[in-house]
Amino acid sequence: MVELVPNLLKQELEKLAENDKRIDGRSRWESREITLETNCLYNAEGSAKVVWGETVIYAGVKFEVRTPWPDRPTQGSLMCGAELRPVAGRKYEPGPPSPESIELGRVVDRGIRESGCIDMDSLCIIPGEKVLGIMIDIHVLSDKGNIFDACALGAIAALRTAIVPAERFDIGEDYPLSVSMTPTMCSFTRVGGRYVLDANEKEELGGEERIHITLGDQGHLHSLQKGLKGTFTPAEFDEILQVAQNRCKELADLVNAQEE
Amino acid sequence: MGGYGDVKLLRDDGSRLDGRQVDEMREVEIEAGILPAADGSAWVKHGLNVAVCAIYGPMEAHPRKIQRQDRAVIDVRYNMAPFSTSDRIRPGFNRRSREISKVTAEALESVVLVERYPRSKIRVEIEILAAEAGTRCVGITAAAVALADAGIPMRDLIVGVASGKIEDTVVLDLDKAEDNYGQADLPMGILPTTGEIAFLQMDGDLSVDEYNTCVEYNMKAAKEIHAIMVDALRRRYQSSNGGGK
Repeated sequence: MVELVPNLLKQELEKLAENDKRIDGRSRWESREITLETNCLYNAEGSAKVVWGETVIYAGVKFEVRTPWPDRPTQGSLMCGAELRPVAGRKYEPGPPSPESIELGRVVDRGIRESGCIDMDSLCIIPGEKVLGIMIDIHVLSDKGNIFDACALGAIAALRTAIVPAERFDIGEDYPLSVSMTPTMCSFTRVGGRYVLDANEKEELGGEERIHITLGDQGHLHSLQKGLKGTFTPAEFDEILQVAQNRCKELADLVNAQEE
Repeated sequence: MGGYGDVKLLRDDGSRLDGRQVDEMREVEIEAGILPAADGSAWVKHGLNVAVCAIYGPMEAHPRKIQRQDRAVIDVRYNMAPFSTSDRIRPGFNRRSREISKVTAEALESVVLVERYPRSKIRVEIEILAAEAGTRCVGITAAAVALADAGIPMRDLIVGVASGKIEDTVVLDLDKAEDNYGQADLPMGILPTTGEIAFLQMDGDLSVDEYNTCVEYNMKAAKEIHAIMVDALRRRYQSSNGGGK
């Protein structure tokens, strides 16, 4: 479905930006409220529900036993996929995965994978024959803006609370998956000419390009992505990276608090 | 239905493996209005099943060939999340979900006042997040609450319930083991006020007497779930909390 961008909305967002205000009254680097719940779904080996403002997503972790790739006989695998099903909003329609949902899944996947928080060699059962595959599936149920950050948070929270169902696979007793880091994502959208943190659905509709930054425990960058039409300057990036450093720490603390 | 015989599903004292009596249903929790992007929504936990339903519309029906001049069409999508079962399921539609979507849509068309919205479409999106036997019924219950939450006029709510047979005994609301190793399953969509039936499927082996007992159990459970549905809708309109569960 083609979405129309109301000119009035664009003008209003520009006017608000001139006065350093946002459409829902937040300040420029202020996020909406987040509720995180883990272990909330019976059949998933790890699960998380994220309510991020009015955006709602679920993430679930499943494991499978598979044969390793021939060139990496001792390594397991990690795959993260996101589904933007028609349940998520009026603009979503049934059909094969859209480019948007593929981008979403892959950006979240890269942040987790590249942080190295999963030791792929620890997923080996019999070298060359059997390894564990981890699958993180993300289900977006209500898109009210910034699904990227919500999905990344849900994915890492589900992963960090996952239990490997070893008994079901006849390879010993169930044990918690070892995850050595908590990478989290921070997204910025250009609204009314300047970047803001955690855009809501109106700001996304009337805004321009977005930047996604995933940071690990030491504040190292693990995944970057620029989406949609637009350009930015190195100075602008430096500014949002600073904000992301603080914000990602807070998000990681939120995830780690779930484990006690 | 799965195999017969070997698996014991009833204890010596006549109770079931999870401790329930034969005419006892699993616990049901319902929340209305949990998805802010939708025009109406519901979350239903029934035993270990979790279903979420979102309603969009009534809206213009596209493509045009699906339009009806005298009524709205109800477009149901029943979908199981990849992580909803013990083995991951590949995302996307399959024959089972298509059939369930079709019969669910027909059941909902029998209660929604579709003639009020000619040429339009009402989208009903049912997502099963955790599956532990009886998901089509949970989906119907969720859809009814979500439709009511969306303010779409209906003749009655519709409640999804199932009974079945294990070890030659009729029981209400089969759980996973009972569904796998039982002898029959009879899911129904019941209009609790009038006692009419808008959804019916069955597989397995039932005598006429056993069928009648199943119907009696289903009717009883429908009344109980109906009270929980009404309570969820009341709570929704007492608080104006958009987020929630």
